[in-house]
Amino acid sequence: MERIGVILDWLENTPLAVSIAQSDWAFAIIETVHVIALALVIGTVCVVDLRLLEWASAKRPYRELAREVLPWTWSAFCLSVITGSLMFITQAVEYFENTAFRIKLALLLLAGINMLTFELVVARGATNWGHDLRVPWPSKVAAALSLTLWISIVFFGRRVGFTMNPG
Amino acid sequence: MLELAQWLSDTPISLAIRQRDWLIPLLQTIHILGIAMVVSSVFLIDLRILQITRSQSTAATAHRYVPWIWTGLGILATSGLTLIIAEPQRALPNPAFQIKMLLLSIAIATTCAFQTSLRRNASFWEGSGPARMMNVLAMGVFVLWCSIALAGRLIAYLQPA
Repeated sequence: MERIGVILDWLENTPLAVSIAQSDWAFAIIETVHVIALALVIGTVCVVDLRLLEWASAKRPYRELAREVLPWTWSAFCLSVITGSLMFITQAVEYFENTAFRIKLALLLLAGINMLTFELVVARGATNWGHDLRVPWPSKVAAALSLTLWISIVFFGRRVGFTMNPG
Repeated sequence: MLELAQWLSDTPISLAIRQRDWLIPLLQTIHILGIAMVVSSVFLIDLRILQITRSQSTAATAHRYVPWIWTGLGILATSGLTLIIAEPQRALPNPAFQIKMLLLSIAIATTCAFQTSLRRNASFWEGSGPARMMNVLAMGVFVLWCSIALAGRLIAYLQPA
């Protein structure tokens, strides 16, 4: 635990973290890019999840939709991680101790596990979805879980901003 | 504007929202989900106009996502209006907010124009020919929506001391 403290402290004092913290506009711009990137993550995830739930795009073959949309989800996710990390290092110690931040990270982990289980186990027969087969129920459960998790991630992310002391 | 803001913030409903400390983050979360709907819909339509995705026609892509732009805007207007009622001084006299509303009206007008053009001249949007101007327009509209998000975020930074 002490080791983590040392690392967090070092992060906060890196030239990059210091220059973001001292700049008037850097944080606001990083935050905006973070919002746009996460908006694209959530939006594209919703498109895929609503397809699995057969609430929207139900007639489109699942694989075709996923191939078109998911690469953008991943690109936007990378951008969210980069911008998120840049905000994190400006006050690493305090973010790490923030309860909302910890809940958010735990939910992100759950969303990741849900996605991996879906891709590796549940989506095995996905090539046929939309052609002759309907989406089987385990996939619908995964989609509903994914929607719930991502919406909660946004809520706890916003909560972080309200529970941190201004730096 | 300042008087209106003062009057609004003294109304019982404004007080009631401010007194619940979880309500403003919740409203902002709903606001962000609205942003996700609008920005992602615009993005996916733009990908089709730029011909990065091709498996569906522009008309079919627009038919699938334009309604979500309007639903998203409805959610944004409702949550945004509630946030203004809660903290009118934070938004109404704020230059970032005023610029945001100006950019927003341009973005809404562009969306209406796109819908009308698609209805009247669908084949124009399907062509792969000299549609370069449309490509520039598609990217411009995405940048416009991003600027609206930026102006919105800047409301928090341009607070009168």
